[in-house]
Amino acid sequence: MATYIQIDPTQKLEPFKSVKKLPLEEYFTSGHRTCQGCESALVMKMMAKAAGPRSIILGSTGCMYVANTTYYSTSWVVPWMHTQLGSSGSAALGTSAALKVLMRKGKIKNEPINVIAFCGDGGGADMGVGAISATLTHAEYNSLILMYDNESYANTDIQLSGSTPWGANTTFSSPGKMKRIMHRRWKKNMAGMMAAGHPECKYVATICMSYGLHGMNSIRKALAIGGPTFIHSLDPCPKGWDYDPYLSHEMGELAVNSGVWPLYEVENGVLRLTGRTEQIAAGKIRRVPVRDYLLKQGRFAHFTNDDIDYFQSKVDDMWEKWLIPGVIPFRKDVEADPPPAN
Amino acid sequence: MPTATAAKKKTVRINGCVASAQAAKYADVDVIAAYPIRPYTATMMALAQMVANGELDAEYIVADSEHSQLSIAHGASSSGARVFTGSSGVGVQFAYELYSPISGSRMPVQMMIADRTLDPPGDFGSEHTDALSTRDMGWLMGWACDAQEAFDNHLIAYRIGEDKRVLLPQMVCQDGFFVSHITTDVELPDSGQVREFLPPYKHPYPLDPRHPVSHGPQIMPEQGPPLQLERARAMEDSMAVIEEVHKEFGEIFGRHYDPWLEEYKTDDAEVVFFLQGGHGVTARFAIQHMREKGLKVGMVRLRTIRPYPTDRVCEVLSKFKVVGVIETNMALGSPASGGALYADACAALYEAPERPLVISFMAGMGGEAIVLKEFYWMTEKMIQAQKRGKIEKRTHWVGFEE
Ligand SMILES: Cc1ncc(C[n+]2csc(CCOP(=O)(O)OP(=O)(O)O)c2C)c(N)n1
Ligand code: SF4
Ligand SMILES: [Mg+2]
Repeated sequence: MATYIQIDPTQKLEPFKSVKKLPLEEYFTSGHRTCQGCESALVMKMMAKAAGPRSIILGSTGCMYVANTTYYSTSWVVPWMHTQLGSSGSAALGTSAALKVLMRKGKIKNEPINVIAFCGDGGGADMGVGAISATLTHAEYNSLILMYDNESYANTDIQLSGSTPWGANTTFSSPGKMKRIMHRRWKKNMAGMMAAGHPECKYVATICMSYGLHGMNSIRKALAIGGPTFIHSLDPCPKGWDYDPYLSHEMGELAVNSGVWPLYEVENGVLRLTGRTEQIAAGKIRRVPVRDYLLKQGRFAHFTNDDIDYFQSKVDDMWEKWLIPGVIPFRKDVEADPPPAN
Repeated sequence: MPTATAAKKKTVRINGCVASAQAAKYADVDVIAAYPIRPYTATMMALAQMVANGELDAEYIVADSEHSQLSIAHGASSSGARVFTGSSGVGVQFAYELYSPISGSRMPVQMMIADRTLDPPGDFGSEHTDALSTRDMGWLMGWACDAQEAFDNHLIAYRIGEDKRVLLPQMVCQDGFFVSHITTDVELPDSGQVREFLPPYKHPYPLDPRHPVSHGPQIMPEQGPPLQLERARAMEDSMAVIEEVHKEFGEIFGRHYDPWLEEYKTDDAEVVFFLQGGHGVTARFAIQHMREKGLKVGMVRLRTIRPYPTDRVCEVLSKFKVVGVIETNMALGSPASGGALYADACAALYEAPERPLVISFMAGMGGEAIVLKEFYWMTEKMIQAQKRGKIEKRTHWVGFEE
């Protein structure tokens, strides 16, 4: 059969074997001024390390722009460009298209270059979702869109986004005398949506940098596989989630172990639960109660037991009633949802 | 110094949209970002066909919105590609966020505009408000009055915008329908001539792993002034380059344009129309008729509005007794409560030792044609003002008054 889609060669990026075997070189270095314990900054560092020096990185507005790319003290060792808040997908597309045509026309050296565009949950799951979706249909352009999800519009002082968990206290949803729960939307299922809606996209994954090697190897796979790919990273944010910065690593682990944040990858259409999530699904370990995760964070401090039960029941549904646990909200059986406790 | 070569040129009969597409082809653009909106769409349709036929080697990307079109353009230009995009009407505004970042990062993206009235009402007709609403975003901007001029302007604009002394994006505008969809003879040059005039694009600081740079960093307020000054200077300094490039274009292609103003029958004129775009063609006919009746009327057509040729406008317009600005744009609540061109013209004239009377005519709104008898009516208003020595009022809505 004829080949209709010409994917340019990518770099060979074998998985890193262990933390001890990681390269020493850093491509995201000093010069940034993120909060102490900022997991998103760690994602940037790991992402750049995983991608290596032959990369172009674009970043949309948000903490990872504002705090990382101060004029005269950029932390990026690889070429970097700011894209507008909703532009990560399209800017990656344009960059990748430019490299492709310039190499074809002999205007620049023909060699594989990684194109990564990162965006926050506000820039990605809200404003830029259309552009990311479009990019994932452009099968002939190599790029990775990495959405670092700190579960709020963090840079503008923690406002709720479509990716903020139910009930969270943000500066647009603080509990008041009349209404304890101001934010009553359930978190958008971005990775599942991208995987389900873009049959030409060869790789979608969820990661959490509390599991650094897993995260970096997902990034390497996404870059090596060719075509447009998407990674959704859950990043504990001490400022927005309101906890002591030294707990960041543990917070990520709790998100995964409570089943709130399932880890999986969809590689060439094949779905695999990964890491601790796979072990939970296989019954090797038990999910820890969401209470243990929620009550460590000030943003849920106003929760009553009913609120916690409701949250737990939604997470249980995701694990027990969804056709594929944690991935796509198609139910096994028809039933009505109970109304939320109030 | 390049010399005019004996060119294998040919004359074809095409409309403004196709002329723009032809220009993009001659410019050997690398990346095209398309999104449908009438009337500019015909340019992208023509380009799609050229890419399909192998006449042009470019990445042709159909974007998911105008915001994405311009974001694609931004990324592609930053990586070193020559980029072509375009839009009309509300599409121009949907992309608005990107205009300042693109000029601020000094990326010479080119955008073709075939004007369309903004909503409401839903209207396909040409009004310049779409592009004019972006006029202060740091893009070079000017209007063609026919398809040939549109073709030429695209090549000229790339050459200016990509000049290292300038490095600014360009909006190359033409009236929707009056230019974009009217078929006329257009002379297409020999491609060798174009290569001589417009060498391949090379941005000095592309995104290149061999020479890593960070584009568009976050600054502290105190770092703002020098950066803004630099962009302002690029705009000002482009004026010398604009003159130089137009001269060279004339030498190579034999079509000599004044980069700023076309003066038509102004030698002994006492009253003149001041306008831009396709209505200039009708104005020429109207003026011919009125000249036969002995009226001393002429036209000054603005070819480049950004950067604004303040000194030229001042020098030229101050020669006349009355200037009638024909707006074809809406600037609601602006100084004359009419259009945007008036304010710029008056600002330019302020330093003139002797100022003409200035009237703003709201004509062609919604893309309606400005017909000959309206030109006669406007001339009559100007002559009355001249006789009276003062204007009756700043703004006349043409067609709504006796
Ligand atoms: C078009 C536009 N609207 C609003 C803003 C203001 N803004 C700047 S950063 C930001 C937060 C973005 O949130 P997210 O993408 O989640 O990134 P985070 O700050 O959380 O890292 C917002 C809303 C903007 N820069 N651009
Ligand atoms: S607010 Fe959150 S995401 Fe932003 S820098 Fe601080 S910890 Fe990082
Ligand atoms: Mg965020």
